[in-house]
Amino acid sequence: MNPLTIDGAQGEGGGQILRSALTLSLLRRQPFRIERIRAGRAHPGLMRQHLACVEAAARIGLARVDGAHVGSTALEFEPQGLVAGHHEIEIGSAGSTLLVLQTILLPLLAADGPSRVRIHGATHNPLAPSADFVAEGFLPLLRRMGANATLSVERPGFMPAGGGVIEAVVGPSSLVALPLEDRGALRDVRIEALVCGLPREIAERELGVVARRLRLRADQCHVVERPRSEATGNALHAILQYQHLRVVVQALGRRGLRAEQVAQGLCEDVRRYMLGDGAVDEHLADQLLLPLVFAGGGSFTTGRPSGHLESNARLIEAFGAARIAIAPAQGDPAKTWLVRVDAVR
Amino acid sequence: MAARPQIAIGFLGTQLDQGQGAGRWEKWRPTVSLGQQPDLELARIELLVDFDRSGGLARRVVDDLRQVAPRTQVRLHDVRLADPWDFEEVYAALHDFLRGYAFDPEREDYLLHITTGTHVVQICWFLLAEARFAPARLLQTAPPRRQDGRSAGTWSVIDLDLARYDRIAQRFRRDQADTASFLKSGIETRNAAFNRMIEQIERVAVRTRAPILLVGPTGAGKSMLAKNIFALKKQRHALEGAFVEVNCATIRGDGAGSALFGHVRGAYTGAAGERAGLLRSADKGLLFLDEIGELGLDEQAMLLRAIEDRRFLPVGGDREVGSDFQLITGTNRDLAQAVGEGRFREDLFARLNLWTFALPGLRERPEDIEPNIDFELERFARLNDERVGFNTEARQRYLRFATGPDATWSGNFRDLSASVTRMATLARAGRIDAAVVDEEIARLRRAWARGGTRDGAQVAESVLGEVLPPEALAAIDRFDRSQLADVVRVCRSTRSLSEAGRVLFQASRERRSSVNDADRLRKYLRRFGLDWDALTGP
Repeated sequence: MNPLTIDGAQGEGGGQILRSALTLSLLRRQPFRIERIRAGRAHPGLMRQHLACVEAAARIGLARVDGAHVGSTALEFEPQGLVAGHHEIEIGSAGSTLLVLQTILLPLLAADGPSRVRIHGATHNPLAPSADFVAEGFLPLLRRMGANATLSVERPGFMPAGGGVIEAVVGPSSLVALPLEDRGALRDVRIEALVCGLPREIAERELGVVARRLRLRADQCHVVERPRSEATGNALHAILQYQHLRVVVQALGRRGLRAEQVAQGLCEDVRRYMLGDGAVDEHLADQLLLPLVFAGGGSFTTGRPSGHLESNARLIEAFGAARIAIAPAQGDPAKTWLVRVDAVR
Repeated sequence: MAARPQIAIGFLGTQLDQGQGAGRWEKWRPTVSLGQQPDLELARIELLVDFDRSGGLARRVVDDLRQVAPRTQVRLHDVRLADPWDFEEVYAALHDFLRGYAFDPEREDYLLHITTGTHVVQICWFLLAEARFAPARLLQTAPPRRQDGRSAGTWSVIDLDLARYDRIAQRFRRDQADTASFLKSGIETRNAAFNRMIEQIERVAVRTRAPILLVGPTGAGKSMLAKNIFALKKQRHALEGAFVEVNCATIRGDGAGSALFGHVRGAYTGAAGERAGLLRSADKGLLFLDEIGELGLDEQAMLLRAIEDRRFLPVGGDREVGSDFQLITGTNRDLAQAVGEGRFREDLFARLNLWTFALPGLRERPEDIEPNIDFELERFARLNDERVGFNTEARQRYLRFATGPDATWSGNFRDLSASVTRMATLARAGRIDAAVVDEEIARLRRAWARGGTRDGAQVAESVLGEVLPPEALAAIDRFDRSQLADVVRVCRSTRSLSEAGRVLFQASRERRSSVNDADRLRKYLRRFGLDWDALTGP
């Protein structure tokens, strides 16, 4: 098959384009060549975190890869099959274990046997979905679509040390689309403050601020203390249970940022979501496109589309996998948009 | 395209990579940061460790590197140093390591991480890389602006090949242009061959202290160039001493040895005191010996010794003295010929003839006459606090003459300088007008007609050199040359063969003993393979 050529400089998020291309390539057994990777950036070409994804994808897809090295501005990827089974992947501090998992999750669901994947590295990165976001928000949604997949965090790992471990257990599945145009009524809110090697007091201060600002009861706020891991870390999550879907909002603590500031950041993101009409928040919208392609189609409502969503949609169309319409939904066009995925069989 | 494996080599110090407990991850640790860079993947880190001092630290660093960069192999090398601040010991230890290391530069790229270790270690890494004991570039890491554990800081590679840096290369080019201009006394010369030669002199002068020989006719600027080379080297701190200039033609005879090499008290009658001599005065400086061909054979032998050993005996002395100087020699004679005739020592000539530059005379650089005129006017203004310029017409008239065939410029730049100075002095109200120029042209013609500073044979040779190929010229006896040269000059200054004949055979005509002057002249020229057209042609 002729490789598909992708311009790695187009749109936003050079890394996300690459990860989506890897996923699509594995699912459709379509070789591709990506050029001008991150062209125009200060340090163009592949970075270690991108390579981590390329190598994980190459492993489960028995792919022939050319140009997979740091700084490379062109990459060729040609998968030969899909290998279910046990995979142990170490990425160190090169990016997020969750981004690696998202790259290979759908292909593993499509493989013909069960898999167990352990990924060593960071579980809570500032610019990636956290392990909690995936375990509590993204995966439950996929399970409702029919995915046979669970995720457990064996040990959290924070940047810059890494040192965390996640384990995903995945079985052969076929997905069906869910209607995700209406979130329904808010049923419950649960806040989890994770502290790792840090005083419990930090979590309590965060919860105090969140409880006050979001008017929550004490039994909705939970401190999660994890055994001391390699690096210290703190993460705050809001799990919003709506009638038709569960949304997870994350905020990460870091040195130099006060617990109260972390909590305020979370509250603002929660408020923004609550005030919107779209069913799916910005981050989930982005991540839902590929599962909907895999499910044969579907639709969801979300807020004003991000650059990531647009460039991801264009990439999917370039692979010939689906037609994707992104248009203002009825109601306030500044607030609600409808994303419609029609898979091409 | 496959990436070449990158190998970092570093020395684990005792300080920067320290860190206890989980808090160590929030601290910038340069060696560990090598494994945390998003855009650097090392295949291997070779870590030099003093196990006695930093064994425990090394184990933790290795563990942490394994965690952040599982694909990077870390190898420890025990390097024991009694004193990591001792230059000799550190250099030897690192040198030994590099010598024993199986570099494979065909396959792998090497980076010497210079951020860790004592300053002495850094200096030694630099020296070893610069001397190519390690086929490596230097790797530098730096902490993030805020050490909040979110960034591993930055890294950069320093390539010691300065030509790879555009801005540095530009700076070099600018410096070089400045230097060349300096050597030319700031004169914007246009003659390509001359400018090329100056560039070569610039490179030689900046890089070596080997003797330089300047060959060229009187007044071609040898002395000025020697002075400029001295000033350049002084500016670059390559010389500390003085500029000492001597024309060897002026120190011939008995006093020559004493003038050059000095003498001790009572060396000869009248030598009441000690004399240092010019060579010793030039110690750590520059000695310019002009007209070196005029130096006596005895002095030549002593000079050779002084150049080779930097030591010599003062006249009458029995203890050698030393002097370390850069030597520039000048000559307007063909030294090779002088060697052939036994008037100049062959071994000395060989020593002097390493960097030989032939300065062309002014006639060979007609395009440089105008910038030199401006330079002379500037100099006049500086010396006399009076700015003088040409009228447009006067300038054109002077230039036409100066670059024309009538201007022999036998004294070269010296003639030009004197000529411009005369005109500037005679100028009225700061303007040199056509009348002043005309007077000056007449003055120059008269001076050159008298033979100027050249003797008859030289003048004849240069006149004939313009109309005859060298081998034909060489076949003509000196006896015939002057006569032929005069005939050629007359032919060139008349309009026809007949007119030239009338001028040349004037006396015979008056005695009516000659009837066909033109025919007589034609036959004379034919004897030398010449004819009217060849002499006066375009």
